[in-house]
Amino acid sequence: MSSASEPVVGSSRSLLAAKRHRTVRKNSRRIYSAYRDHQQGSSDEEGGDDKEVDSNDPEEMFQNIQYQKEIIANIRSRPWPMRRKLKVLKQAREIVLKYEGQLTRTRGYQTAGADLLKKLYRVLYNIVVTFIPWEVRIKKIESHFGSGVASYFIFLRWLFGINIVLTIMTGSFVVLPELLAGAPFGTTRSKTIPKEHLASAQDLDTIWSLGGYLQYSVLFYGYYGSVRKIGSAGYRLPLAYFLVGMAVFAYSFIILLRKMAKNSRLSLASASDENFTFCWRVFCAWDYLIGNPEAAECKGAAIVNNIREAIVEEQEKKKDTSLAVLISLRILANILVLLSLAGSIYIIYFVVDRSQKLEQEKPELTLWEKNEVSVVVSLITMIAPSAFELVAQLEMYHPRTSLRFQLARVLVLYLGNLYSLIIALLDKVNSMSSAPHVSSSNWTNTSSTISSLSAQVSRISVSEHHNSTMATISTAINFIHNRSSLITASNQTIPFEKNARSQQDQCWETYVGQEMLKLSIIDMIFTVASILLIDFIRGLVVRYLSDCCCWDLESKFPEYGEFKIAENVLHLIYNQGMIWMGAFFSPCLPAFNVLKLIGLMYLRSWAVLTCNVPHQQVFRASRPSEHCGPFSGQEKIYDIISDTVASDFPLWFSKVMSYVTSPVVVLPAVLLLFMLIYYLQAIARSLKFTNNQLRIQLQTERTEDKKKVFQMAAARLQVPEASADKNPDQQESDIPSQEASIHTSSPQQNGSITNVQSPINRSNSIRTITQSASGADLNEGCVSGSVRSPAVIVLPKHQVEHLPNSRPQHFIGGRSGSCRSKSCHHMAYNPPSDLSNAIHTDPLYRKTIRSLHPVEAAGIIAAQNYGGRCGPTTRYVIVNEHRPRKKLLCSTTRIPRHYLMEEPREILELYQRNIKHYTPRTIHQQHPPRSHTSQQLRKEEEETGKDRKRTSLGKSLRPCSLPDHHQQAHFYIGERLDSFRESQRARYEMQEDDEEEAGKEGIDWGDFNLPSPSQTSVKEKESSHTQRQPVHSPRRQYQSPTRTRHMGSQLKPKLRGQLETHLTESDSASIASSSDQQNSSTDQYIHVIHSKERHLGSDVRQEKMSKKKPKTNFDLNYTESNDLICSNV
Amino acid sequence: MGNKQTIFTAQQLDAYQDCTYFTRKEILRLFYRYRDLAPQLVPLDYTNHPDVKLPYELIGSMPELKDNPFRQRIAEVFSEDGEGNMTLDNFLDMFSVLSEMAPRDLKAYYAFKIYDFNNDDFICKSDLEKTLNKLTRNELTEDEVKMVCEKVIDEADLDNDGRLSLEDFQHMINRAPDFLSTFHIRI
Repeated sequence: MSSASEPVVGSSRSLLAAKRHRTVRKNSRRIYSAYRDHQQGSSDEEGGDDKEVDSNDPEEMFQNIQYQKEIIANIRSRPWPMRRKLKVLKQAREIVLKYEGQLTRTRGYQTAGADLLKKLYRVLYNIVVTFIPWEVRIKKIESHFGSGVASYFIFLRWLFGINIVLTIMTGSFVVLPELLAGAPFGTTRSKTIPKEHLASAQDLDTIWSLGGYLQYSVLFYGYYGSVRKIGSAGYRLPLAYFLVGMAVFAYSFIILLRKMAKNSRLSLASASDENFTFCWRVFCAWDYLIGNPEAAECKGAAIVNNIREAIVEEQEKKKDTSLAVLISLRILANILVLLSLAGSIYIIYFVVDRSQKLEQEKPELTLWEKNEVSVVVSLITMIAPSAFELVAQLEMYHPRTSLRFQLARVLVLYLGNLYSLIIALLDKVNSMSSAPHVSSSNWTNTSSTISSLSAQVSRISVSEHHNSTMATISTAINFIHNRSSLITASNQTIPFEKNARSQQDQCWETYVGQEMLKLSIIDMIFTVASILLIDFIRGLVVRYLSDCCCWDLESKFPEYGEFKIAENVLHLIYNQGMIWMGAFFSPCLPAFNVLKLIGLMYLRSWAVLTCNVPHQQVFRASRPSEHCGPFSGQEKIYDIISDTVASDFPLWFSKVMSYVTSPVVVLPAVLLLFMLIYYLQAIARSLKFTNNQLRIQLQTERTEDKKKVFQMAAARLQVPEASADKNPDQQESDIPSQEASIHTSSPQQNGSITNVQSPINRSNSIRTITQSASGADLNEGCVSGSVRSPAVIVLPKHQVEHLPNSRPQHFIGGRSGSCRSKSCHHMAYNPPSDLSNAIHTDPLYRKTIRSLHPVEAAGIIAAQNYGGRCGPTTRYVIVNEHRPRKKLLCSTTRIPRHYLMEEPREILELYQRNIKHYTPRTIHQQHPPRSHTSQQLRKEEEETGKDRKRTSLGKSLRPCSLPDHHQQAHFYIGERLDSFRESQRARYEMQEDDEEEAGKEGIDWGDFNLPSPSQTSVKEKESSHTQRQPVHSPRRQYQSPTRTRHMGSQLKPKLRGQLETHLTESDSASIASSSDQQNSSTDQYIHVIHSKERHLGSDVRQEKMSKKKPKTNFDLNYTESNDLICSNV
Repeated sequence: MGNKQTIFTAQQLDAYQDCTYFTRKEILRLFYRYRDLAPQLVPLDYTNHPDVKLPYELIGSMPELKDNPFRQRIAEVFSEDGEGNMTLDNFLDMFSVLSEMAPRDLKAYYAFKIYDFNNDDFICKSDLEKTLNKLTRNELTEDEVKMVCEKVIDEADLDNDGRLSLEDFQHMINRAPDFLSTFHIRI
């Protein structure tokens, strides 16, 4: 594995690699490489993935193989050209083949087995796919109407699959055994047609109402005998009947759950409420499925409308025109809807009542009278939605909102109709208990299921309007509701049974089955009729009569029908709910439904393709009898189970069962279940909450972390030459962002700035900053110099981000110190936020940058810098001075606050910059010193370093990594043009050094940090820059000297040794790590300033300053360091 | 089977199945679709990896693509020469990414490339303008286009550099409810 990652990392590093580092690196690469490689060029990826070094360690080998397999498994999701994918795949396979044999035998078998399974799965999948029907047809529809309409057909196909399974279940376990082994027709009472009906058994009228021969057939519940065992094999038909009934529910339930889970997973990502209106309208507008010129034209027009709409909405967001009119219109519309709802409920009740009276008065009912109720109900359900749609136009809602309203209203309508129907029927049953044809229980069941279904459908349809995927979910939900309701219904029906059956020799289950089947048939007829009459004829009329009409039929009144996805899906769900409910009473219902769905599929697809429209609906249901059916003689249907247990199982089993089913056991169990449900729900709720939190976190981290990692990788890959070109650009882009961050001038900014210093860090910090200050122009921010509120908000983000950021740094920097460096980074971030000083430093940073680049509006920048940041800069200056270094060993008392006050801010700033500058430069000897001062400084530094060396114990530790990073940053900012290459080189060096140094530095610097936390507060209080300056200065003094030393050391090993000794001398190792980073961050700022402006005079002044007030500085430094530490922690 | 076997070896088919989201049958179907574009150019034997490229004019005339305003970009992005001339491998790549099974990230990556007209790895204003003009067939006025571009960048540009990077784009597209269903070609 290590070998695999190495090539990618690049040649720059040949240090000992900790395994962990490698793996981290590799992982990061693996994750992001796929989407990165276009930038980096393919070479790295191929090398990384394919090259494997022989390793003797079996564990490593195994991991290697696993890794290769992972590649193989995921190769298809890599955005590479096929050629490369094939190549990588081949190599990975070869490696697996080559090394797999060396593994232990069991592993070999395991893998071989897995391979075999995979192959089998693939073959199976290939076979199964060929049986998916209507692929071409759906594709054709898709190409004409896009994904929305196609989703209806996909849903239909899915339902079709479910019904096939249901058919197989009922057919093979209930219908076929009964046909083959059951008592033949005419042998028992339940299987013979009563004599009084025999004459009319073959009448079309009877057949049409599913009476006569049909009634006494396997179609219905009543036909199945209650003999415990049938046939020679002793098939327990009643048990099978019951179990199949349950299995049908269970299967549908599970299928629905799975679908729902899948859909919810899909919709999870889009659950956020972020507003990307325009983005989505642009980037997600085109439906790539469209492959028809007419449809493409429509789509194009729709997109234009959509975008215009968005523009208008955007423009009119503020002004609300004619609000009063709109509100009154909407009130009116709602009143109309309510009126129509109430009217429909009344009509249904009235019709039921009337049919009841008619039945009592007349012995023979006409066809119309028989079907009056169902026809009226279906008419209402057909017409009302259209009326609602008309009303909705009054309201002038956004189309999406209006669709939601429409669905909600339709749902309420369905529910209202069903409930009124049920109530009316219950009334009817009660009033004529002698011969109720429809059992109330069934009705309630159906109604509840339908209502639940419809509700779900409405939701689904809303989503579907825009997306097809949602439909399935809603259906699933509905089904589930149906299931539960059905089960309860069946249970409910049992008690009713006694009332209902009375003298009726017809069993009510058969009656229910008949009703359901009848409903299904009528529904189908309605569907077909509506498709043919309404859509087809309308289409014909519109197309052929438009020429002889005075208005344009195609675009004005009749138009072509429109495919109403939501309502059609609702209808499908309704239909399926009927099947589920009726399947128990009519085992052949699923089979019928299969046929129906097939027909629907063809008819609908044809209608959609030819005339572009359809829509409608229906419904019903009922309960068990004592003289017919497999459960006859049993009080409750599920007694079949206890019966079976009692008679067919050993005695002990029934005993156990009786105990288990006793209330003593059942009640606690039920309680327990409730508790469990509650508990699970609570957990789900909390999980949802955390999920939300995590998602928010991910959102921020994903984007930013990715970028960071990418940039790191890019930095690595960039060869010095190539990097030279890129760096300037990066710097430029970075600078504005930095400026923006500075302007925000919140404590957070400091953290970001520190990040900026190292190339990797930079990008991260910059991005975070920009995000916080999103939308605001960089320049504006700079000019204003005011702190922006976003910055404050950003804080949490920064913290979150810090971790990711730190990692990248580690990668770059060093292996050994990665852990520490991470912590350090965090520390660094935090302190800035706490300290006001940090803010000040930022301005300096900017200033320097600007000064360096005349192109930028220098005046603006300068003003900003001076105004708020002069103080901090001065502090830095003091710290940076060389003298302190010498003294540093002894004490940190060099910071002159007063000096700052005395001197003009500008001067102070300059000084600081100079100091810093020289340090970085010293580090990189390659760069010729730009200003004399800088050179001088270098020399001084070197000298001091030498001195230190002497004084030091003589340990030759490596230079601090942090300073190096900072230096890099400086170079970028100030010296981009001049020495990009140099800086790059420096980076590399730095990185190498950093690895080792990070840890050490942290330790060394710790001493400084120890001081009290009060400093931060003090700093903040300090209104003037000067005051703050002193506080900061102490730190910097320490740091700067050390850094300068480090710099020198990098260039010259000797210097390094000195620095190290320095560090070692200051023994605060524990705290050090955090403090170091902070220091480094501050140092970085300083450095930057330096590089930009190098003023000889300023240097001198600084030195003086430092000399004057060493003691005060000392104290201040202490406090500062403490603050930093605290903040970091 | 015998006939099919001569087109690809079993290993080839296996590799293609590993590298795409297609089944055997679909791969063969795609091959035939590809071949039907230019029967005289495409051999029936692909076991020795013939170097055949179909020009963009042929690819763009497929019914699946011919009405797509971005067809040229799609072909360019997926072709190795960047000009829309596609080998069978490119062809398979294209439809694999656009298939139903392809994950969101992969689709987003290629969608980004498709909308990045100037191939600079950023969607800048000029890219957006082109996208919009193609999408709306130049029906929007310049002002409207300008405003929409500004709004888009305003909404999705996280780092305020005035253009959309891949990360910005993914961030945005990952929240789009319609993206998966619309960035999809059923073949």
